Amino acid sequence: MNIWKISLKNIKSKPIYTFLSIFILALSIALLLGVRQLEASFKYQMQNNLGEIDLVIGAKGSPLQLILASVLHMDNPTGNILYEDAKKISKSPFVKTAVPISYGDNYKGYKIVGTTNEFAKLYNAKLEKGRAIKKSMEVILGSIVAEQLQLKIGDAFLSSHGLVENDMHVHPEHLIVVGVYQSTNKIIDRLIVTNLESIWDVHHQENEHEENKNYLEHHEKGKEITSLLVSFRSPSALLTLPRRINENTNMQAALPKYELDKLYQYTGIGFKTISWIGYMILIISCITIFISLYKMVKERAFDLALLRTYGASNFQLIRMIAYEGLIIGFFAFFLGFIVLKTGLYFMFKSIETEYQQNILQKIPLQEFLQIGGVVVITIILSVLLAIYPIIKMNISTTLSNEK
Amino acid sequence: MVQIDSLTFYYKKEERFFDFPNIALSKGENLLILGKSGIGKTTLLHLLAGILIPISGKVVIAGVDIHSISHPELDKFRGQNIGLVFQKKHAIQSLNVIENLQTRLFLSKKPINNTSIDFLLKQLDISNCKNSTINTLSEGQLQRLGIAMAVIHNPQVIFADEPTSSLDDENCKIVIELLIKQAKLTNANLIVITHDHRIKSLFSNSITL
Repeated sequence: MNIWKISLKNIKSKPIYTFLSIFILALSIALLLGVRQLEASFKYQMQNNLGEIDLVIGAKGSPLQLILASVLHMDNPTGNILYEDAKKISKSPFVKTAVPISYGDNYKGYKIVGTTNEFAKLYNAKLEKGRAIKKSMEVILGSIVAEQLQLKIGDAFLSSHGLVENDMHVHPEHLIVVGVYQSTNKIIDRLIVTNLESIWDVHHQENEHEENKNYLEHHEKGKEITSLLVSFRSPSALLTLPRRINENTNMQAALPKYELDKLYQYTGIGFKTISWIGYMILIISCITIFISLYKMVKERAFDLALLRTYGASNFQLIRMIAYEGLIIGFFAFFLGFIVLKTGLYFMFKSIETEYQQNILQKIPLQEFLQIGGVVVITIILSVLLAIYPIIKMNISTTLSNEK
Repeated sequence: MVQIDSLTFYYKKEERFFDFPNIALSKGENLLILGKSGIGKTTLLHLLAGILIPISGKVVIAGVDIHSISHPELDKFRGQNIGLVFQKKHAIQSLNVIENLQTRLFLSKKPINNTSIDFLLKQLDISNCKNSTINTLSEGQLQRLGIAMAVIHNPQVIFADEPTSSLDDENCKIVIELLIKQAKLTNANLIVITHDHRIKSLFSNSITL
């Protein structure tokens, strides 16, 4: 027998209050941790996927949409730009690298990106097996694509038009797998990379099939790409290049960092709201634990006085109450963690299939400790409030009132 | 050994002053203190157990003047040397019978010996409720458990406050006999404070407040 055991028995003897305390505290812990985890995942994902991209040049439209489409591969592109125009910008002295990308097709939901060999360098992606692309209709798979679709080098598949999986509009040309990238934990893991010619070939032939005259005319003017991913030679380019493009060409230049920060501000309001709800529930749980402990102290005043006659010191009784709070806190943390994990699992099951992207990150240790600290303070506060009657207790009066 | 010397107490709230007679018990000697309600019986018992602090006077148990030592020392002394029996409440509600006795030993910093617990429960005829929760016990069983709680740690003195007032004649006699027997077994002084005249015949030594 020791103080811990007595505390545990006390808790067991009032199951409803204990359950309520644990449940409410667990809920607030799950919410607070969940928000931090989502926030961290969002931030990480965005920054990670930026790679070395300082600027995205694409068709006029929403800059956020252009970034989402070209950098995070989450949205439809704003339109196409002429490859010739893009090439002109690549030659600017401000530009270190400029990677053209072009897309519009998918295979089983995974986007097919037509680009150059430079693209992989943006993400530091190296070939795990196979070789680089040498000619049109050859593809290299991101690690997750290869794993999920069980494709090997030498396999051939048919792409379908658009960015969402469909059987309605399948291109007749086979794409052949020639390589697989190593896992990078970046967006490239979920892409199918090919060269620009593959995209042009597929769509060119198609256009010939379908709308002969109109499109022929259009295509003669020059090849098109979706956007150009630019990294600067020096930060000073930030001031001049985007404005020049936006003012003097029919293209737009969007700064991914700026746009994503904007997006992050929108989503940040949501995170903050949930955080505040979490803190509110934490306060409620603090009150619940306090009431539960205080009730025990008040209702069991005689028991506590008896313990004193058994030789227990005031300090031992205070420890007993404190341990009860800690046990509740421990189970709440445990339960909160389980609630969080299952909640996020089901939440992200839907997101993953939608965006073909697993964006969940681990909770940063610092945030974890911060929430843990707040919870411990909550418990200490409830315990301090609850032990007040013990300090004030008059054993003699309590014992005399037994009848 | 119990010695009470010119003990006085004052209740500020009720403005009542108590002056208690001197008592001296040699080792193993028992005493019945009789008195009407409100005469200060419980006050005296709490003074003896060090739960209340007197205005003046001394309470010496086993050679220790209990009101001259520090609070933590008094807590420890009480736990190790004094056994208390109350009228109705006898044990901690959230613990079962055996856990209560283990807790009692733990708090008085004595080794927890389950064999001696079993032996005591057998003697008090409550072995069968060893694992029962407190609120399932009958009045008689509870009172026996109360005795067990007061003697399990082999105290120097056992103080009983109205131990029989809620019991019928038969149980009343049994409980007092058990108390006297247990006190004798542990060679402790037994002091029973009561208004219950039924038990007067069971004590050779008694005073009236």
